[in-house]
This record gives sequence, C-alpha cells and structure tokens, in this order.
Amino acid sequence: MKSLMIEAIPDSPYYPEVNFDASNGVCLIQGESYMEEAYKFYMPLLDWLKEFAVEENNKVTLNVMLTYFNTNSSRLLLDMFDILKKSVDAGNVVEINWYYEEDDPDIMDEVEDFEIETGLEINMIPFQA
Amino acid sequence: MDIPKENLISYHGPINIDLVSFISNYLKQYIKADNSVIGRIYKVLIELIQNVSYYSADQYSNLRSFGSGIGWFRIDAQNECFTITTGNKILKEHGPILLKNSEEINALDEEALRDLKRKTRSQANIRDIGAHIGLIQTGLITGNNLEIKVEPIDNEFSFLIISASVNKTNT
Repeated sequence: MKSLMIEAIPDSPYYPEVNFDASNGVCLIQGESYMEEAYKFYMPLLDWLKEFAVEENNKVTLNVMLTYFNTNSSRLLLDMFDILKKSVDAGNVVEINWYYEEDDPDIMDEVEDFEIETGLEINMIPFQA
Repeated sequence: MDIPKENLISYHGPINIDLVSFISNYLKQYIKADNSVIGRIYKVLIELIQNVSYYSADQYSNLRSFGSGIGWFRIDAQNECFTITTGNKILKEHGPILLKNSEEINALDEEALRDLKRKTRSQANIRDIGAHIGLIQTGLITGNNLEIKVEPIDNEFSFLIISASVNKTNT
C-alpha cells in the first residue's frame, strides 16, 4: 500500500498538510482545516485509513496537529476516528496523539467530545506555537 | 448596548474561501488582545462568515468557488467584548427555523450545548452539514447568547443578521 502525502499550500492555508506513512503506520495531519467542500479533501484520507487500519489490520499512530478546524472539518475528523474505532474493535493497535496549543481555551472540550462520541482514547500533548 | 465601540473592520460583497482566509489571518495580527481571545474571534469569524459564503440566498456566480455568497460582516470592539456581526439574504422559509434554532442554543447551558453539538454533528450529511452546527459552535466558543434578527424583504426573501460576542476577559 502506498503512503498518502498532501503537502501544505502556503497560499491556501485552509488545507492541512497530510502524511500517512504506510511503511510504519504513523499518520500526521497538521495545520488548519476550513476548506470548502471538506468531504472532497477528506475522502482520500478516510479511504486510506479504511484500507490500512481496518481491511489490512495494521497498527496506526495518528498524530493530529491541527491548530484550527471548522465544524465542517470536525464532521470529517469524526469519520476518521470512527474508522479507527472499528480497527480497535477488530483487535488492532491504534494510538492517537493530539498536539494542542496551550493557550487554546476550547480544545480540551473539542477533543473530549470526539472521545465521548467514538469511545476512543486520545492523548493530549501540549505545545507552544 | 456596550459602548463606546470601535469598528475594526467591515466588508460587504461576495465572500469566498480566499477572502475568509485573508481576513481572518489579517485580524490575527491586527486585533490587540490575549492570544486566547484572538483565537476565539478567529474561530467565530470563520464559522459565521462561512455560513454567509455557503448559505446566502445571494450567490455571486462569477467566482469559480463552491461558496461565494454575498453578504456583509463587521467586527467591533466594545468595552468588554468584541462583536462579530454578519448579514445576508435568506429564503423566507428559513427565517423561522433559524430563529427557533438560535432560541434553543441560547436556552442551553454548556453541557447541554455540547450534547446538541455531538448529536447534530453525528447526524449531519458530510457533503453539507448545514448552518445549525456553526451556530452551536459559536455559542459554545463565546459562552454568550447569539443575537439574531430576521427582517422581511418581500414574499420570497428575508434578511438575516447574526451577532456573536467574544469576551475580552478569557473565561
């Protein structure tokens, strides 16, 4: 299976950078996410995770470094976590690390909402921008 | 009304993703406030003006972009808060729904609002999640009531004005 890479576009900062590495299962999404028609951006990510984590039963480490995502994107992030929950339920190893800016007063609740909805455990790791 | 107020920015015209990005990033440097407050203004501004971009009944068709709704927005500095206000044309039948939704949002405490957000998000269509969740999120981020007005234009359209306040003191 091939890795999935989407480079950051400086003129379009509403697209995050993506690096889903098929060689070791380490998946990174970082930057900001508030593009139009978010499902078009996220569908390849969802398809990749379904194949890699659910159909091929590989271990995944997802590192999320999103400093902002709008509600459209959060709907697609929820789908990403739902796929990873299916992988966990099938007995596979999934680790999710969410790197957050320490001065963001709302992010803990946002991530806790994902945990409540999916039943996944998400590790919160602070960083300074 | 919390006075005096200073208009920090106002805009009227078509709103597409590149304008949303430019304005919101420009404001990050322009507004003098704590980073956490600027972050909340940024989040609320993007949610509200993307609603104008996607759902305004007035769409600018010459821009090759999914959402290019025509409307206006302004950001004002009050004594105790910053207000973000948007205005756009809507179909008349959407007015009562938006008023009912905002009344519901304003009536809920934080935990109930988070419940509503989770329920609304999980049931939303990924191709178009609708304006409702953006308003819920705005209520959650600000911790303040949304102010919403729907003024009739004619038999087909109304004009929607939404205002949200971000406190200058972080809570």
